[in-house]
Amino acid sequence: MGKVVGIDLGTTNSLVAYVDNGVPVVIRDDSGDALVPSIVSVGEDGTIFVGREAQRRLLTAPTRTVYSVKRFMGRGIEDVRGEANLLPFRISGETGGVVRIGIADREFTPPEISAFVLRELKHRAEEHFRRRGEFDFEVDRAVITVPAYFNDAQRTATRDAGRLAGLEVLRIINEPTAASLAYGLDKRNRGTIAVYDLGGGTFDISILKVEDGVFQVLATNGDTHLGGDDIDRLLVEQVIAEISSRGPKGSAPQPSSVPQPSSAPQLSPQAIQEIRKAVIQAKWDLSDVEETEIRVESSPGVPGGYRKRITRADFERLIRTLVERTLDPCSQALADAGLEARDIDEAVLVGGSTRIPLVRRVVQELFAREPHSELNPDEVVALGAAVQADILLSGRREMLLLDVTPLSLGIETMGGVVSKIILRNSTIPASGREMFTSGVDNQTGVDIHVLQGERELAADCRSLAHLHLKGIPPMPAGLPRIEVGFQIDANGILSVAARELRTGIEQAIEVKPSYGLTDEEVERMLIESFEHAEADFEARLLIDARNEAESVIQATDKVLRRPDFATIAAEQLEPGERERIDAALAALKASMGNTDRAVIQDKTHALNHATQHLAEVTMNRSVREALAGRNVKDV
Amino acid sequence: MLECRSCGAGAPVDEHFCPQCSRILALGRHGDYFAFLDFPRRLTIDAQDLEKRFRDLSRKFHPDYYYNATPTERLASLERSSYLNDAYRALKNPVSRVEHLLAIEGLPPAKSEEGTAKVPPSLLEEVFALNEELDEIRELRESGTDPARLRSRLESARRPIDEKREEHERQLLELSARWDSQEQAPAAEKRATLDALRERLLERNYINNLLATIEREVANLSTGSGQPAAGSK
Repeated sequence: MGKVVGIDLGTTNSLVAYVDNGVPVVIRDDSGDALVPSIVSVGEDGTIFVGREAQRRLLTAPTRTVYSVKRFMGRGIEDVRGEANLLPFRISGETGGVVRIGIADREFTPPEISAFVLRELKHRAEEHFRRRGEFDFEVDRAVITVPAYFNDAQRTATRDAGRLAGLEVLRIINEPTAASLAYGLDKRNRGTIAVYDLGGGTFDISILKVEDGVFQVLATNGDTHLGGDDIDRLLVEQVIAEISSRGPKGSAPQPSSVPQPSSAPQLSPQAIQEIRKAVIQAKWDLSDVEETEIRVESSPGVPGGYRKRITRADFERLIRTLVERTLDPCSQALADAGLEARDIDEAVLVGGSTRIPLVRRVVQELFAREPHSELNPDEVVALGAAVQADILLSGRREMLLLDVTPLSLGIETMGGVVSKIILRNSTIPASGREMFTSGVDNQTGVDIHVLQGERELAADCRSLAHLHLKGIPPMPAGLPRIEVGFQIDANGILSVAARELRTGIEQAIEVKPSYGLTDEEVERMLIESFEHAEADFEARLLIDARNEAESVIQATDKVLRRPDFATIAAEQLEPGERERIDAALAALKASMGNTDRAVIQDKTHALNHATQHLAEVTMNRSVREALAGRNVKDV
Repeated sequence: MLECRSCGAGAPVDEHFCPQCSRILALGRHGDYFAFLDFPRRLTIDAQDLEKRFRDLSRKFHPDYYYNATPTERLASLERSSYLNDAYRALKNPVSRVEHLLAIEGLPPAKSEEGTAKVPPSLLEEVFALNEELDEIRELRESGTDPARLRSRLESARRPIDEKREEHERQLLELSARWDSQEQAPAAEKRATLDALRERLLERNYINNLLATIEREVANLSTGSGQPAAGSK
């Protein structure tokens, strides 16, 4: 049995944490950085880059670099078409199916992209445990967080991503609830808590009651398409509009010109990423200072660059409507919990976007109290996930999370009307059952359309799956009594079982998810990912070989360029040695483009061998020189 | 009688854990939320007490604590937790509590369509008057009468219905108290109380529908008069 971690799989950044001697800690890299940017880039040779490396490639290889993939999890192409125009990568998919992301000749589903991020986190954690001297450092299980308002398809997509990354997903938990768990650790008091979670791509509000260590969610609401990304997009669109309205030769912006609609940016993907980077920096600045500058360096995509002062007031005017979109979900959650804003004892801020002063003010006004932000809003969710992982593993019972399902579950009935089976904000696990019968004599199958949402008509709700019940015993119409049981587990994920009550026969059910992958598809991807993993691994080894070769070439060049090299060569090199070195150097340089790692390694080895004597000679010389100026006693 | 799927021993239907091997029991066909939470079948339930029982049982059943258990126990934990959540939700709300009592006492559900389609006899008079008044108000609204005047007419139309509702809430409380005191009473008396409770629930549904209709009319007045919709910022 390997190690268990808690993972916050975010829209913008992801983190991994674990519980060390009862204390949850996030795992950082050597530079102390806990955040792994949720960005995946595919190199020309198929190498997969994740995190900071991929983030750098947003500027150099934008069409091969995917970010904010969480927004596409469990969604269809028709949901995301509106934002596709600003994305540098290609998205496609059939109507009513999962989104597909195309990079060069490869196509990925969102769970596959997320799996690369998860694999990187797994790798980071394993490195951490290995360095701590753990004998068994493998990480094979995880608790992964999702926005509370994620529907069944989005949760299932997240679980699939975990599987694809080689992790057993112990539990999917909700981000705001995880945060409350992390906050609840030190002060185990009782009360009613509102967790306001505005992240990179999603917004959640959860109202909890905490008593005796039981964290009971009373109601939750949110918007799975509202977050920092939307703020960035507003700013990017504004900058693009101003750049596009400039004269043909990059003349000064014309202040009175009508901004171009966002659908007509003629800028290259590189240029858009440069702009995006610049506005994000400005957004961050404005959380600390009253005024800053959006600054895009001059580049082929943006000739002459772009510079503009922006004040916090300008920024707030621009984003106010967006921020106020969080208020309706808050009122709805309070109403569902049977509470008023003044009944809330504590408000907690989670998610990077809650650093924005306007967001803080809005929350403070809503709940008429200063919200908590003692814990780093970027890290608190991962910490909570680690705590939950520890609870699952240890079976310790002093703390318990009781979460709810965010959306009502129903089935389509006559006339396209939805009959609700499990109501929203029901504590999970939750179950419900419904009776079905046949419409014609000897009917052996029944089709059931399962949906999630609050609206009356099936067309307005989210289609989850089409179920097909098979093998109903032949009987006259209306006689079979088929009981279908719907079970939402503690992950908020649905499973279905059916039984014909007269015969007691368990019915087989074929499930066709509307916006998800079938088990077979996940299975196939798992096999493919192993195949690719080998290719990816090969690609990584090739890069390592090239890097190694590059450093030997550089070291050799450096020695050859030394001012005293002529002296060394004359005094200490053997006849023909210089020629052998030159030949080996040229051979290695010529081999660098080779895709066969062995060839490069071979030539690297040859150059190392050819320069060995030279290296000794120069090193001795350097040592002598270094010592020459000193007294013997100092040595 | 339940059979423990872990050790095969028999257990009383209201037990949660096997008396023999102390493993969590599969749920079976349980139907009584009161018994499940170890409450007597009474309509007065202390909210704090219910919360505490819910938390305590959650701590015993929740799937979090069966992560390493056998598949049998894990399934039992899932079933028992789900059922506990249902029971808690149903007993927490006084109306659904009465509905559940009626169901386990064998009365037909009080939520059925008959409650909304047919006017309960005791409400005939009020419904008749209200419908006439609403028709008139609708006509006046369409002919452009001052919405403020119509609003006050709607308010006066609402008053008798509100009074009826308050009376009903009182009756529901009285009947609940009577039921709670009738544990030793003859079956016929108990049945009479249940029937009365069911009547009140049906009427209550009807009254709530009437109030919703009035609310809709009030909303129509605001939008129809060209006033900006609420929350226009």
